[in-house]
Amino acid sequence: MNLKEEKRNDITICKLEGEITINNSAELRKAFDLIIKRNEKKVLADFTAVSYIDSSGLATLIEMFQRLKKIGGRLRFYGLDQKIKNIFEVTKLHKLFDICDTQESALKDL
Amino acid sequence: MNFSERIFSRLELIPDCIEKLIKKIKHLSLAEEELFDIKLCLQEALVNAVKHGNKFDTNLEVECSIEVLDDRLTIQVKDQGAGFDEQAVPCPAHTENLTKTSGRGVYLIKKLMDEVKYFDRGSGVKMTKFINKENSREPKRREA
Repeated sequence: MNLKEEKRNDITICKLEGEITINNSAELRKAFDLIIKRNEKKVLADFTAVSYIDSSGLATLIEMFQRLKKIGGRLRFYGLDQKIKNIFEVTKLHKLFDICDTQESALKDL
Repeated sequence: MNFSERIFSRLELIPDCIEKLIKKIKHLSLAEEELFDIKLCLQEALVNAVKHGNKFDTNLEVECSIEVLDDRLTIQVKDQGAGFDEQAVPCPAHTENLTKTSGRGVYLIKKLMDEVKYFDRGSGVKMTKFINKENSREPKRREA
């Protein structure tokens, strides 16, 4: 998994790439820790290049969602591949997370 | 067709084990989505076996075997731990459990595979995916 960050005004865009699994979710958690430490409250997770996610990856996203919520922040997702969208739906996490169709609508929503 | 892989209880050994197993079933005419589900369920079962079953004891092993028949693919993952009661795992899809960070692996296996059975007090799981489209239970995933 690779993660690149980009700033768009007060929004932090996390461009994730590859497979998010138990073998790299600690790395993702560390990146999220830094975002929280910098007090960045608007986060957009760009899933365009994510090919796979397991339950540990999902748990890391839930943690980030909760941490942002606690400080009055927001987390939005966009660019989910249909197979990953299905995983969000099967686990009902699409009810918890805000998943947007385009980057534009996600940015607007934040 | 039968084949199996055996690994010691180290998480870093899982990706290679999955890759070897997936390579052996790639010739089957599985839909991309089916292959994705199988890979994910293999991952979840192996992680549960290493983490919860063998409790990261690197002296203990996890065995994974796959049997391919004309209409189905059956995966068996067995650890050397004390087992667990899968009925006792709270459903992570219930509204009150959505923010829980555990139990989702067992749930995903139940939802993405067509038949799932735990054996030896839960230290083993046998999961089947029907690969003949007529027997497939694809709607199950949408009903989740």
